[in-house]
Amino acid sequence: MTAWLLRRLAASVAIVFAVVTFVFILIHLAPGDPCIVGTGEGIPDPEVCRSLVRQFGLDQPILVQYWRYLAELAHGNLGYSFALHRPVRDALADTLPFTLQLAGAALLIDFGLGLALGIYQALRLNRLPDVVLGNITLFVYSLPTFWLGLILLLLFGETLRLFPVGGAGDPILCPLVDSFYCLADRLWHMVLPAATLGLVGAAGTARFQRAAMLEVAQQDFVRTARAKGLPERRVVLRHQLRNALLSVITRFGLTLPFLLTGAVLVETIFAWPGMGRLTVDAILRRDYAVVTAAALIASALVVAGSLIADMLLGFADPRIRVRDDAFVDVVTA
Amino acid sequence: MLSAMPRRYELLPIVLAVVALGGCERRKLCNAPDCGTLVDAAIGEPGTLLPASTEEITARDVEEQLFLKLADVGMSMNTIGDEDFQPLLAQKWEWDGPLTLVFHIDPRARWHDGQPVTAVDVAFTFDAYNDSTVASPYRAQLKRIASVTARDSLAVVFRFRERYPEMFYDAVYHMRVLPAHLLRSVPRDQWRTAAFGRQPVGDGPYRFVSWQAGQAIELRADTTFFLGRPGIRRLIWQFTPDLGVAVTQLVADQVDVREQLVTPAMIDRVRTAPQVKLYPYAGNTYSYLAFNLRANGDTSKPHPIFGDREVRRALTMAVDRASLVKSTLGDIGKVPPGPMSSLLWIWDPEIRQLPHDTAQAARILNARGWRDHDGDGVRDRDGQPLAFRILVPSTSVLRRQYAQLLQEQYRVIGIHVEIDALEPGALQQRISSGRFDAAILSRANDPSPSSGITQTWTSAGIGGSNYTRYSSPEFDRLVDRAIGAASRNQAKQLWRAAMETINADAPAIFLYSPGNMAGIHGRVDNVQIRPDSWAALLRTWRIPPDRQIDRDRVEP
Repeated sequence: MTAWLLRRLAASVAIVFAVVTFVFILIHLAPGDPCIVGTGEGIPDPEVCRSLVRQFGLDQPILVQYWRYLAELAHGNLGYSFALHRPVRDALADTLPFTLQLAGAALLIDFGLGLALGIYQALRLNRLPDVVLGNITLFVYSLPTFWLGLILLLLFGETLRLFPVGGAGDPILCPLVDSFYCLADRLWHMVLPAATLGLVGAAGTARFQRAAMLEVAQQDFVRTARAKGLPERRVVLRHQLRNALLSVITRFGLTLPFLLTGAVLVETIFAWPGMGRLTVDAILRRDYAVVTAAALIASALVVAGSLIADMLLGFADPRIRVRDDAFVDVVTA
Repeated sequence: MLSAMPRRYELLPIVLAVVALGGCERRKLCNAPDCGTLVDAAIGEPGTLLPASTEEITARDVEEQLFLKLADVGMSMNTIGDEDFQPLLAQKWEWDGPLTLVFHIDPRARWHDGQPVTAVDVAFTFDAYNDSTVASPYRAQLKRIASVTARDSLAVVFRFRERYPEMFYDAVYHMRVLPAHLLRSVPRDQWRTAAFGRQPVGDGPYRFVSWQAGQAIELRADTTFFLGRPGIRRLIWQFTPDLGVAVTQLVADQVDVREQLVTPAMIDRVRTAPQVKLYPYAGNTYSYLAFNLRANGDTSKPHPIFGDREVRRALTMAVDRASLVKSTLGDIGKVPPGPMSSLLWIWDPEIRQLPHDTAQAARILNARGWRDHDGDGVRDRDGQPLAFRILVPSTSVLRRQYAQLLQEQYRVIGIHVEIDALEPGALQQRISSGRFDAAILSRANDPSPSSGITQTWTSAGIGGSNYTRYSSPEFDRLVDRAIGAASRNQAKQLWRAAMETINADAPAIFLYSPGNMAGIHGRVDNVQIRPDSWAALLRTWRIPPDRQIDRDRVEP
């Protein structure tokens, strides 16, 4: 297990490094000058531009810039944002918690609701609730996230006025989360964006879980458990569900990237001040340092999620746990 | 219990449940006559609130409240002479000879940390704006001011390099006076990232309170402000990345101000909200179909289509601009009589323009050899079809719509147009490097016609913002004379002649100038909007006590 973990950690670092390198080169090669892009369609004073470009080291060859970036990164410095006029570390420190809160809440909806629906459907196979829920989950799963977000915003925000239209908190009463009331306010503001992000995933998880439950239900050990006279509740929870969870754990690892990319759209629609919104703005303004740092953080999170999923799988499945050397092969097979 | 709770909060069981669990919170209520909270739905977050280092729109709106200019333009938008300017930091001024202007600072003016505002601050400000290390976007506008020096603690002397009608405008409009005692120690190459920019200390009607990154900036009225206590106590700029969401927030009564409703559809949506009032005001942008007069990607040769003045005139006459504006912008847009927005005082519908005349356009094209020789519906000459591509930014729905309408109007007279919607950065690079045929572009004007028109349409702007590479000695001469005209009337005549010259040469088709429409909560009274800056007169707005709602009474 330890050897496997070390190998995975080394591979993770390599993946993150490759992503950062790729993004760094790609964003620098993308057309557009950071000095000009942020100023609309006029050209700023060339001398002003030259001065700014010099101050931010953007007049150097790309390899020199890359080398400097790595050297700074090794010291924990993510650079200065050209557009935000502040250290990238500060900008990310302000936005990353919001993205993690949103992704966490969406993950809760995704797997909480998805698992419950999938199990419920499997236990009522081909009966009315299964058919109805099957169609509903298929419909929701096929919805584009941004469309669902807009519909929820217009329906529950503008028309019914049950939830706030954007933002992470009430700027009048709760500029900071410094009380229970403001914590509730934050949660209230999170309902629509988290639902947008989580519902589509929940529909997918439900279909996944239903299929897994049905597959396990055909296995000999489930039949044997029933034949032994175990109560149905015990058969379902102890034997069927536990084994059916394996495929959902794999899905958990795959969901994290989706949540982070989905957050980009959702954060824009709901004015959620997260890292996704920061990244989109940075791409549009050719804010190289922010884009590269955001890619670094996002890839690290995705790799970490995948690692956690693999470890959970190992803990959940004794067949994987016993063969230490073969751990990685079994997991990734 | 919460003493001041907006109505919408009462609807939410989750909030009530958690409040019940977590205990109740007591907030003070405001009962003063100036109680009031105004929330603006701002598109985009500024990078800094240091005026010398930014020209972002939201930053400018907030800085209007924090930092004073010496004086400012009046509602007339007259930038010539000094008679229409309103004193702010300067109590008075006088001319000491043709090239010397002396301002006397109001002795009551104070920085928000209690220090007096002095002539040294003004001289320091000019020095900073003029320092290439600071990289101020306004530096170019100050190039005709030779020096700014403090004569005594309250008198500051501006010396100009030459005499021209907009000397006073240049002296006061571009610079917001900065506190020398707080900024002198900050190295100039670190101004952009200086902590001051995120926690500014100003001298304006509002004091800085907080900046929640990605969320909001809050200001509070300075009750000791020397020009009078502001009418509304608390201002909040809530950041929203999307205009559609900002409009929804306004309709849902979660914000009080959205200063620009860009399309008729947005205005119609806001009309459905009974609590919101609409305020029209002049727009400061115009959009045009720019023709690249040099070959696509090779500036040494003329463009095979747009290099021909007569063909450009025909292309202009083939477009029914009035119907395009009507169908896209309804009543809020106008066809500009030249490269200008309706903000400019030179706007004059009587300026001569090429008429919409498709028959004449077809005759010109025939005469220039562009005929449909092979019967495929597209004109051609020497085997080359009359075809070109229009670039538009993919982010602008309106410009993409315009490109499609132009495509259709050109199809009717046998011109083939293709549309390339590009990401703004890619578009910018293509147009600035001359790798395009035509593009729909937009420009924003400040109140003076001088700088914008010079940069975008005269020979001096080639290599800069003059993307069409239009070069007309006659036009350049008229612009120069207009900028140096002795009186407003004379300047207006010269600007008119210049506009008629460029209209006749048709380096671009001036498509539309959208007017602005602000949606503002109906409880706000005394709303005055200056077209160049909607927030410039915010300190005079007020919310009468009998119209105050819950959010006005919440004590910060």
